Amino acid sequence: MTAWEKSRARAAPWFLLPALALLAVFVVWPMVRAAAWSFTSADLLAPERAHWLGAANYSELLTDARFRRAFGNTALFALMVVPVQTVVAFFLALWVNRPEPAWRWLRAVFFIPVIVSTPVLAVLWTLLYQPAQGEQMGLINAMVQAIGVPPQAWLRDPHLALPAIAFMSVWQGVGLQMMVFLAGLQAVPGELLEAARIDGAGAWGRVRHVIIPSVRNTIVFVVTVTTVLAFRIFVQPYLMTRGGPGRSTLSLIQSIYETTFLGQDLGRACAASFLFLIWVAFLTLLQRWIAGEERG
Amino acid sequence: MRQGAARMWWRCAQFPLLALALVFVLTGASSRAARTLRIWGHQGQEGENHAMREIVVAFNRAHAAEGVSVEISFFPDFQYTEKIAIAAAAHDLPDAFEVDAPLIARYVDAGLLAPLDRWFGPADQTDFLPTLTEQAKIAGKLYSVAAYDSALVLYYDRAMLAAAGVAPPPADGWTWEEFLAACAKVRAAGVEPVALHMNESADEWFTYAFTPVVWSGGGKLIADDGLRVRGVLASAANIRSLTLWQTLFTRGFAATDPVDPNPFGHGKAAMDWSGHWMAQLHLEAKGAQLGAAPLPHVGAQPVAPCGSWCWSMSAHTKDPELAATWLRWVTSTQHGIVPLVRANGAVPARKSAFGEFPKYQRPPYALFRRQLETFARPRPQTPFYATLTQHFAAALRDIARGADVGGRLRMAENEIQKEIDRRSAHGSREAAR
Repeated sequence: MTAWEKSRARAAPWFLLPALALLAVFVVWPMVRAAAWSFTSADLLAPERAHWLGAANYSELLTDARFRRAFGNTALFALMVVPVQTVVAFFLALWVNRPEPAWRWLRAVFFIPVIVSTPVLAVLWTLLYQPAQGEQMGLINAMVQAIGVPPQAWLRDPHLALPAIAFMSVWQGVGLQMMVFLAGLQAVPGELLEAARIDGAGAWGRVRHVIIPSVRNTIVFVVTVTTVLAFRIFVQPYLMTRGGPGRSTLSLIQSIYETTFLGQDLGRACAASFLFLIWVAFLTLLQRWIAGEERG
Repeated sequence: MRQGAARMWWRCAQFPLLALALVFVLTGASSRAARTLRIWGHQGQEGENHAMREIVVAFNRAHAAEGVSVEISFFPDFQYTEKIAIAAAAHDLPDAFEVDAPLIARYVDAGLLAPLDRWFGPADQTDFLPTLTEQAKIAGKLYSVAAYDSALVLYYDRAMLAAAGVAPPPADGWTWEEFLAACAKVRAAGVEPVALHMNESADEWFTYAFTPVVWSGGGKLIADDGLRVRGVLASAANIRSLTLWQTLFTRGFAATDPVDPNPFGHGKAAMDWSGHWMAQLHLEAKGAQLGAAPLPHVGAQPVAPCGSWCWSMSAHTKDPELAATWLRWVTSTQHGIVPLVRANGAVPARKSAFGEFPKYQRPPYALFRRQLETFARPRPQTPFYATLTQHFAAALRDIARGADVGGRLRMAENEIQKEIDRRSAHGSREAAR
């Protein structure tokens, strides 16, 4: 090692120090604090008044009907949203993947819901879903009525509320995933498509045997990100139904939020947050593992 | 070489050092000269905020000679409780702050508030509206004071009722049977009978506005110890009362998802289940046609809700005397009540202040005062109020939309009781009451 290299190696920790210090203060320490609180009965208003509970917060959460329902709702929401949003985004991307300027406009149209603030959209869709008869009837009921389906109380029916919110979320989020797929599609080699066409592959054959294998990494990325985002659902059900009717649209984040700020039960909220963190990390690793395995 | 480095060091360091020295001098000087009180208020309407800022300015002017001043920060309503919670957790509460009346019990339980009896003796306490002292007293000690209180009534349009052949309600309000009969006649005349503001996003509207229905039927939300809802919330009396309430929706007398925030003022509804905050607007819209009666009651007697923003002192303030000086100022008739009540139209907190408001001789204002002095009741005092109101409001929303009253109340009862039991068992509340 030359003298210069040696001095560089000596200097390295000093350059790392600011970043490490910030990470320690703003990421590591709060996580350690939260982990410690999750094993206690800490009260948000008086955290020092905490008793050691061991794993009681965790075991109670795992058997708590409300938390389980919140988890079930969120998982169901993800199951509805992730496949639909991924497939629709993929085909939208295929559709608008053309160089002519007119298609660029179409891309912008699909992307607009992504940039509009979610609370605004939540209010808009609440009006669209309005069940009332006559002049106050929402557009969606007017539309289903036009095709011969009786109007529904979309956000008030325990069986319809979650699918209704999922539908709205797909509509809102699909533009972003479409953009990611578009970027992926740019990387599909033109020669391969050309060769497939010459070999007699039809449109579906080209999608199946050329495009999908080429954008595999993009698909993994989109599915992972959509899953994580789906599990973080909060604003739409909170504003549109407050988690109701009953508990039919209660999301995990809403339940954690309510435990923190309404129940002011810091210990339990920390435990719930850790369960959430562990679950999302597990899902992400699982998806990477499945994707990696298939690739190999 | 050494010398050069030293000179270099000094050249780089002299400005920061000088600045540091200046900061020491300045802070040292200012901490000797002045005492500053940190206070927090909720962000109401602009007029109300403006009045509050003016009150602070007047306080600072009056106390400038003593080197004392107040510094106020406002936070929006919907974040206010969270803000207090986070500040409490971080031991960073201001010296004095506004609290929403039903949360006083919880804050006292968590040890956040200082008792105020030393500064507000019997003379003050009898001058405040009885609802305010009742709400603010826990284990015999006073924990908050206020500049105003709230009132909720049934407004009606005399002409619209007359057109439907309905006589106006008597001075003590209708019973529920009479009320439903009146609604049926109004509905038959083709007018929406009553606006209940079911699109209100805050849970608290539901608990505030409709708990009187439960009370008037002889029921309660929670036992007096504030720790038991089992057998109380889903009692036969409450099921009966709230089934009557549900009738308003099942028979189409009130909208479950209204779009118009003020259908009464716009001439679309004949009655309005609403608060003091609408009085001025309704008077302007209706003039002599405006009537106001106590809320319909299930039993023989009317019941009204009450409670609004109050002022409390932090248990950890370094300067309780100064904090108390501020609390006295903002709840005094001249400095606090008159400007605030002029700005937000709420009901003055002190009986002695009504003289400043001649309109309290006339309806609907006279009714506000009468019910606060006779049949209004504060919401239940319990450290679990937030849980209680959340689940009760959710139950009301579902009941309005057709849920089975008994089943839905039992579900809420179970959820609330489970929460109370769990937290009591964990001992997070020690030596609370």
